[in-house]
Amino acid sequence: MGMKFRCERDTLVEALSAAGRAVTTRGGALPVLAGVRLELVGDQLTVTGSDLDLTITVVIEVAGGEDGIVVVPSKLVSDVVRSLRPGSVDVAVDDDDVRIVSSPSEFSIRTIPADEFPELSGAEGDAVTLDAGEFRAAIDQVEKAASSDDARPILTGVLMAAEADGLRLVSTDSYRLSVRDLSGTAILSEGQTVLVPSRALKELSRVVGDQDQITLRLGERDAGFEVGGVSITTRLIEGDFPNYRGLIPQNHPNQLTVDRETLLDAVRRVRLLAQESTPVRLAMSDDGLELVAVTQDVGQAHEAVEASYNGTDLTVAFNPEYLIDGIEVAPGDEITLETVDELKPALLKAADDPNFLYLLMPVRVS
Amino acid sequence: MRLVVARCTVDYDGRLQAHLPAAVRLVMVKADGCVAVHADGGAYKPLNWMNAPNRLNEDPEAGVWTVTSPKGEVLTITFDDIISDSSHEMGADPGLQKDGVEAHIQKLLADDPTAIADGLRLVRREYPTDIGPVDLMCRDADGVAVAVEIKRRGEIDGVEQLTRYLEFLNRDPMLRPVRGLFVAQEIKPQAKVLAADRDIGWVEVDYDELRGIESPNLKLF
Repeated sequence: MGMKFRCERDTLVEALSAAGRAVTTRGGALPVLAGVRLELVGDQLTVTGSDLDLTITVVIEVAGGEDGIVVVPSKLVSDVVRSLRPGSVDVAVDDDDVRIVSSPSEFSIRTIPADEFPELSGAEGDAVTLDAGEFRAAIDQVEKAASSDDARPILTGVLMAAEADGLRLVSTDSYRLSVRDLSGTAILSEGQTVLVPSRALKELSRVVGDQDQITLRLGERDAGFEVGGVSITTRLIEGDFPNYRGLIPQNHPNQLTVDRETLLDAVRRVRLLAQESTPVRLAMSDDGLELVAVTQDVGQAHEAVEASYNGTDLTVAFNPEYLIDGIEVAPGDEITLETVDELKPALLKAADDPNFLYLLMPVRVS
Repeated sequence: MRLVVARCTVDYDGRLQAHLPAAVRLVMVKADGCVAVHADGGAYKPLNWMNAPNRLNEDPEAGVWTVTSPKGEVLTITFDDIISDSSHEMGADPGLQKDGVEAHIQKLLADDPTAIADGLRLVRREYPTDIGPVDLMCRDADGVAVAVEIKRRGEIDGVEQLTRYLEFLNRDPMLRPVRGLFVAQEIKPQAKVLAADRDIGWVEVDYDELRGIESPNLKLF
């Protein structure tokens, strides 16, 4: 089936890249999934990429010439279009090839049989709307604590749970735990929880841009997000999320309060000497905070950080990457780090925002 | 095994054409006729090689070896300077030993089957079946026979293997019903799905924990 349209290079690159992020990179059972499906109806081009777990569809306006459907190799076509000179791009399908022309360049690329592309249905369920900026900020605060280890699929998800006063997002990779409350956001029925792959939420965060609203549909097995001209459909993760509530210690006798940016900069500096999986130590006392990193046969780093501390003198060691992740996403200018001892989980939160907490396990040091 | 260390050039003509310019290399001629040309680097992959069967034609005067395969591939090695040329009788190879970690996990779990499941007790290690021994035969707290297959990495083929053992074990009226447990340090999602589909349980074990080594990276759960 022929197809012909003209489009601005940057618009097409953006659509191909966004849809292409759902395209499988692992060479699964369906070779056609290495491609993105382009469907032109009038002046509307729909670009779809999928690995069957995650589907991303982008709709853009083009100057349509001839309606049609084609599946093209995702990465190659994306790279080709990105490499063209700025301006308009002409795309036309002839038999088994797609011609991509932007003078003086001309590419002809073999297509993938479009009838092999699976039928993909969006998530069913009632549409609810979310404040895009607030939801994106919440995703950014929790997605890093989700695991990327496919061997434990439940931990690769972000738990969305109905709370009395709104929605709660929770993620954990067993070394740290992020909790973010969105007060007044009621998208789930009482007691309902769903486990959404963090990968899908990360893509959602990426495409939000300056949009005001996200439309969410929750089906039995799928969740669908729509923002601007982009739809993201993801399969939900089945299984029981760990009972995270019991992990958060109720009493933290030691409390450190410190400027967030100051601590972040200091940890980033000291981390340079925390090589070969060695931790950064936080020595807390009435004098404030001292960061220490020592890598045998390489060197050491010390930095004093102005902070107020209430508690007994204590040194706790943390994985510097995990500590930085928590400090980066904590809201507000000032954060508190609450500790029990050098082996129990520490609680990092904003000094004046109760809606976010980050629980972090220490690293045992001799 | 014949080992020749020499300055040589190598030309391959077959599925493609390739040329290795003059340099000092190790040429290995194995007893089965395989010929491999190695540089002084890399763990295993030769620069060029021809799988057996081959015909090796030596022309000592010209200093040229011509290795020809039945598929018509030709490897031509031209020697400029032979530094060493030795042959060694190596005898039959005993084959690859079972993975050390896997064997150690089996021993540790045989010593303490409760690390797999509460109440599990060992009947016998390497319990024989007609198609090979199952790693552990145990009884659970209710006295039901449990066949345990242990792998370092749990993949689909491990589940298939345990399925075959269970088929044979469940023919024994003294033993049946026998349920299966698939145990590994890490089990692939597909293997978990297949195991669940066949009513086989699976358990991931921590090798360090089994050895009593505490990781410095503490976990929340």
